[in-house]
Amino acid sequence: MPPETIRFTLDGRDVAITAEPTEPLAHALRESFAAQGVRVACSRAVCGACTVLVDGTPAASCAMFLWQVEGACVETVAGLRDHPLQQAFARHGAFQCGYCTGGFLMLAKALLAENPSPSRAEIAEYLSSNICRCTGYSVIIEAVEQAAAGMRATA
Amino acid sequence: MSIGLSLPRADGAEKLSGRATYTADIARPGMLHAKLLRSSHAHAKLLRVDASRARTAPGVHAVLTREDVPSGLMPIYGYFIKDQPIVATDRVRYIGDIIAAVAAETEAQAVAALALIEVEYEALPVVASIEAALAEGAPELFPTAPMGIVPAYGEGARGALRPAANICFEFGYRMGEPSVFDTCDHVFEDEFRFSRMWHYHLEPFVSVADVRDGRIEVWSSNQNPFPLRKELSRIFRMPENAITVRVPYVGGGFGAKNNCKTEPAAVLLSMLAQRPVRLALTLEEGFLTNTQHAAILRLRTGVMSDGRLVARQSHIELDSGAYSDASPLVAEKAGYRIPGPYQWEHVDSLCRCVMTNTAPAGPFRGFGGTQAAWASESQIDMIARRLGLSPLAMRQKNLLKLHQAFMPGESGVDSDLEDGLQTVLAALHHTPAPDRGLGFAVGFKDGGGVNKPAQARVKVSTNGDVFLGCGTVEIGQGARTAMPQIVAEILGTSAARVRVAPIDTDHTPFDQGTNASSGVAVMGQAVARAATAVRDQVLAFAAARMGAPPDTLRLEDWHIIRGNERLPLGPMIMRHYGGTGFEFTADGFFKSEADHHAPLEARCVYWEIGWAAAEVEVDRGTGQFTVTQLVVAGDAGRAINPMLCRGQDEGSAIMGYAQAMFETMRYDAAGELLNGDALHYRVPLADDLPARFTALTLEQGHGPGPFGSKGLGEGAMLPVTAAIANALHDAVGIRITELPLTPERVLHALDQLSTAKALP
Repeated sequence: MPPETIRFTLDGRDVAITAEPTEPLAHALRESFAAQGVRVACSRAVCGACTVLVDGTPAASCAMFLWQVEGACVETVAGLRDHPLQQAFARHGAFQCGYCTGGFLMLAKALLAENPSPSRAEIAEYLSSNICRCTGYSVIIEAVEQAAAGMRATA
Repeated sequence: MSIGLSLPRADGAEKLSGRATYTADIARPGMLHAKLLRSSHAHAKLLRVDASRARTAPGVHAVLTREDVPSGLMPIYGYFIKDQPIVATDRVRYIGDIIAAVAAETEAQAVAALALIEVEYEALPVVASIEAALAEGAPELFPTAPMGIVPAYGEGARGALRPAANICFEFGYRMGEPSVFDTCDHVFEDEFRFSRMWHYHLEPFVSVADVRDGRIEVWSSNQNPFPLRKELSRIFRMPENAITVRVPYVGGGFGAKNNCKTEPAAVLLSMLAQRPVRLALTLEEGFLTNTQHAAILRLRTGVMSDGRLVARQSHIELDSGAYSDASPLVAEKAGYRIPGPYQWEHVDSLCRCVMTNTAPAGPFRGFGGTQAAWASESQIDMIARRLGLSPLAMRQKNLLKLHQAFMPGESGVDSDLEDGLQTVLAALHHTPAPDRGLGFAVGFKDGGGVNKPAQARVKVSTNGDVFLGCGTVEIGQGARTAMPQIVAEILGTSAARVRVAPIDTDHTPFDQGTNASSGVAVMGQAVARAATAVRDQVLAFAAARMGAPPDTLRLEDWHIIRGNERLPLGPMIMRHYGGTGFEFTADGFFKSEADHHAPLEARCVYWEIGWAAAEVEVDRGTGQFTVTQLVVAGDAGRAINPMLCRGQDEGSAIMGYAQAMFETMRYDAAGELLNGDALHYRVPLADDLPARFTALTLEQGHGPGPFGSKGLGEGAMLPVTAAIANALHDAVGIRITELPLTPERVLHALDQLSTAKALP
């Protein structure tokens, strides 16, 4: 397939890349935009380690083509700066090996944008699209609960 | 000051921003990408491997087949038995066995070139299970014996290579006289089956190798850089100081990333291509690389009518897969741990490693202890119920007491086992109801590895900035947070001032590996000794300068405290050593003493315990059941960082929970893995958690590690499967002896129970 120029917004910056439009988004983000925090594990949209937000919706970037983000707003963990979720993850020890962490942070960000006051069950259900093999999830759920409470208080 | 604080993880800034570097992120100038050709046959002779078309394919720089291995190498590896080739030579032994490798400019080119390699097989009969491999006349995976050694054992223990066809190793342990079986009121024989899981570490197996100018440089997602260096030195016949292994952050391992995995092929390809080579496996290839051991465990246990345990004979068969990997060690641990934490007059254990045409099995969190605890803690419960005793009273009667030796010559148990059991039971709010049941179990293993040496180095700059050199890999457990807390406490400084140096075998002090829950209890002792030696040097230095006895001085925030005086060390150091200053440096070392009276040749460093209590509710109509409550506890001895301890216990317990409920690799009789991919292999998700799930960190204070600490990370997984099976028995009277405890098995057991009751 001939290369095409794809333009999108990446963590608030306008970017363009000339590449095969069928290149997996995760690959392009890692190799061409140094988005190291987009981790690739299963490569088939199951584990969620590569989760980014595309126009606010969580997406497995390993299983998305580059052409699909033409004109879209793509957010990765690199765009989070001292976010309440990052603070809560740090306080609760909501990560261990860290390989899934960028994906969980982005997933949780989308959840809280959709539902600022999720119940514990709603958090667990939403977060169940991603896999963490280390923590056993309780600490992640607690961190999201706490971040949500903090964000509501300052909203 | 530092000990006992839930300080945030030191790797938080890197991991929460996505900037942490893993091996998967490593790139070198001119780096090629490698992929592997794997066998499509479970067992076959390799008649022809023709890679000529691949060699000229676009972008290809090196092709590795059996014909491309330079002469003079030893291209076969394994822990105790060298049986696994880098690429297959005369035959393939499982679906996924490595036949060839290609290094090309891009991964896509490497994959395309692999498709051009022609392989001709001559199929051999397949043995895909323990039973098939041990059947009369079964084909042998290794018609001739591979080279191997038996580890040294102490009193009562023994090992043997290749005691029978398709068995690569057996471990035996015997204590006391078998005649006591004759004195028992009852002897119960039961058989248990243990399922096989995959580690599912999210960072796949990945290595980057750069061979040039007679040196090998390797970056790898590996749990034990020094044993890897040694193995590469042996394979490639190069001195260890010509090999540098670097290990950045590791994205999970759970045992899988021990010894050699992707490294030898990456090194060999780099040698052939004269370029750096990255070999990254897919997650699916992980299933084909290393797994847990499925097992059949037969227990014969003699008891008195009052519930006193007398004798246990056990026969364990581990499905070791196609290559030995760590199987002999896992056999040793399963065989040694099968008596559980109880008092016996006689123990006779035999554990055998059975070779099958499936993926090689190796280290997995729990390491033989999971298999042993599943069978032992199920049977203790069954025996109690058969004798009409309460499972709690039965355990109380037999549990080892604090400081009591596990076996003759062994170290004393350093946890109060009954206290832990009472603690989890008290934390579980169980109210009896129809079809609801309570179960519990005690998991038990010798922790800290066998005869495991660890070295560490602490140095402090003129201004009091601390460096820690320590080979414990940061794999998620929090070593880079806990070790600095130990150092900071001893040096009277803050943990934030302690930097852990990156791991590089040229500079990092020797360590045997990040395994066996040995971080705090083994390496922690080396770290504490190094820090103490540095502190003593600093105090001696200050004492000499000040003309004061060292024991009147104290170190705090890089100041010398004497009574009300508080003197900054920096100026004192520069006055003596000159304006560029100095570094105080010391090494620390720890190893459990070798001791031939100890069955495993060294007394166990500490005992890793996990207690679990579970409540289940069963739907008799469908066989579905839910774990309504799960409470686990581990004994940290003294928690260096309670938040990290909780993380280890919860993560560990959920792996055990998944093994109980659903997680399992499924092979068919032809040796094909039916669910070896991310979607079909089910691991626990956030909404799989029990409605109530609690992990308690006990601090009983008897550990040998710094400040009374012990290790954690495996213990809480051990008791969970049996606790849930025991709860099912309590709820509806069924006993399931095979994992996982699926609704089908529950329903089948319920049907059998009602059939049995209906019989006259």
